Amino acid sequence: MGLNELIALLSSDTAIQIIASVVKILIILVLCLQVPPLMVWAERRAPAMMQRRKGPNRVGLFKFRLYGLLQSAADAIKLIFKEEVVPRGANKVVYHIAPIFGVFTALVVACAIPYGNDLTVFGQKISLSPIRLDVGFLFIFAISSLAVYAVTLAGWASNNKYSLLGSLRASAQMISYEIPLGMSLIPLVVIFGTLDLNKMVIAQSAYPWSWGIVKAPISFLLFLVCMFAETNRAPFDLAEGESELVAGFHTEFNSAKFAAFFLSEYVAMFVLSALAATVFFGGWQTPFIPYDTLLGLVGGMEWLAALAGFICLIIKAAFFLWVYIWVRWTLPRFRYDQLMSLGWKFMLPVGLVNLLVTTLVVAFIEHAGRN
Amino acid sequence: MVSIDHYLVLATFMFLCGTLGVLFRRNLLMVLMSIELMLNAVNLVFVSGSRMLGNLDGQVMVFFIITVAACEAGVGLAMVIALFRRYGTVDTNFLRILRG
Amino acid sequence: MTQELVFLAFAALIALCSMMVILSRNAVVSAIYLVGDLFSLAGLYASMDAHFVAAIQVLVYAGAIVVLFMFVIMLLNLGPDQRQHLQVSAPEVGVLALTIIGFLVVGGMLLLGQPTGVTGPLTAEAIENAGGNTYTVGMVLFTKYLWPFELASMLILLAIIAAIVIAKKEQNKDGDTRRLAHG
Repeated sequence: MGLNELIALLSSDTAIQIIASVVKILIILVLCLQVPPLMVWAERRAPAMMQRRKGPNRVGLFKFRLYGLLQSAADAIKLIFKEEVVPRGANKVVYHIAPIFGVFTALVVACAIPYGNDLTVFGQKISLSPIRLDVGFLFIFAISSLAVYAVTLAGWASNNKYSLLGSLRASAQMISYEIPLGMSLIPLVVIFGTLDLNKMVIAQSAYPWSWGIVKAPISFLLFLVCMFAETNRAPFDLAEGESELVAGFHTEFNSAKFAAFFLSEYVAMFVLSALAATVFFGGWQTPFIPYDTLLGLVGGMEWLAALAGFICLIIKAAFFLWVYIWVRWTLPRFRYDQLMSLGWKFMLPVGLVNLLVTTLVVAFIEHAGRN
Repeated sequence: MVSIDHYLVLATFMFLCGTLGVLFRRNLLMVLMSIELMLNAVNLVFVSGSRMLGNLDGQVMVFFIITVAACEAGVGLAMVIALFRRYGTVDTNFLRILRG
Repeated sequence: MTQELVFLAFAALIALCSMMVILSRNAVVSAIYLVGDLFSLAGLYASMDAHFVAAIQVLVYAGAIVVLFMFVIMLLNLGPDQRQHLQVSAPEVGVLALTIIGFLVVGGMLLLGQPTGVTGPLTAEAIENAGGNTYTVGMVLFTKYLWPFELASMLILLAIIAAIVIAKKEQNKDGDTRRLAHG
């Protein structure tokens, strides 16, 4: 096959789509893998700031302290070189595949979030998220409901009573808060009339008064609380219970598998933050600058506008990540029964009433608009 | 072109696995899981039928089957827990009070 | 071509996982294979343009029902199935033989015959134009199947209450729970 034929093959429609998908997946992967090291650093410096101490600021490069940013690199290197100890009596197969569930679900959901508007490259319309479905919303919930398996299987496979207890508690917590999580976002589906996340972002124009948070504030509050419960983060982190159950469900996991759990937790945090930003804060919309105006500003170069949108989304997600850390180091931990009764007896009824009221209001407005 | 025959053969195979599981596994929970397998085989038939016939009734049927399967699994598992509390085992060979 | 490849891939996965579900010694491993089965089945549904059903399948079946199974398995703390010397009696062998023969018959019939059916209006293109799979499924669900939908919600409520009542621990008159003696 000569060079011309190769180029012709590569410029065909399917080839461009495939190459674009591969590039998108790689970029999202790399992006998600950058989050845990940064979060680990932030997780130790931010509380230091809040508690009037310094936090790790020594690890640097060539005598530059670099604000301790390389501490994460040092942690990662240590984790990789640690000895891998498999507990006796643990189910070998399940022990090894338990972390995979967590990492898989977190990364796949990260691929379903729209990172920018559709681009036209070489005459092909390319959407800026590797997974673009018309049921994008449901897909995200479906895949994130598989994250429970990581916790459940990890605790069970460890052949350790405390791990099992911790994992059962954690998974009960996760499945209990999945319902209010979904329930709080359904009113937004009703308001915007679509399950496709990109269309939702487009429907929330660039002006903040038409963003999701203004149209469904109670949903936002519910989602915010459920975000913490879903990722087992404080104040809902009794499963990890750093002072109670040793390390909960991942007690018996060390070195690379512990790194995998760590990774999946932080990537899940990032993903939920990005989802909150997409659905409540306008996603990749630059505030006050509609997409067309933005295109005009950058002189018609679509990729610059897409980059600007991408950066906006990252900033909004970073805000939520900051909220995660802030809340963790401020609030004390919930007790298990308090947690469960909050989820079932408060969040679920509030979510249901919210859904009912939202649906009635939207139906009323549509009815009035039609007459 | 993937015709409905392929889906039906696959569904029959799943159903067969489910039936064998119900008949030959002694663990009550395994029996329940095999029942779920059978229900999924039926779901597959419905969805492929809906696709071939250009009718969405099949998919709505699947929606209801999943709902009923969820209810049945919930109640079935509650009964398994109650049985375990009463008899200390979930082995079907030992749970034979209804047998003459 | 791609459609057939996709079908083949998912079908192979489903067949493998189904066999491993009934052949595993450990209940938890069986549950994991069941999850793989349900996930592949959802992929198959998605390849048939039934996106809503695929998402619901993963969300409800793989993400909730099987988790419930795992909870019960772990709570009952069951060990691996004691695979003793296979004690099959004559009826069981007969049933096994009949089942396999039945499968062969059905498979043969399928490979020979061609099903003919009336093609309805909602082909894939019509669904796309009408607003997507979820929209059309919703329309059918809330117009033609409204009664079953409401009854299904009542059924779920009944099932929740029943499950809670059946699985409750026995309580003394003073209200503290005790475990019944094993039978």
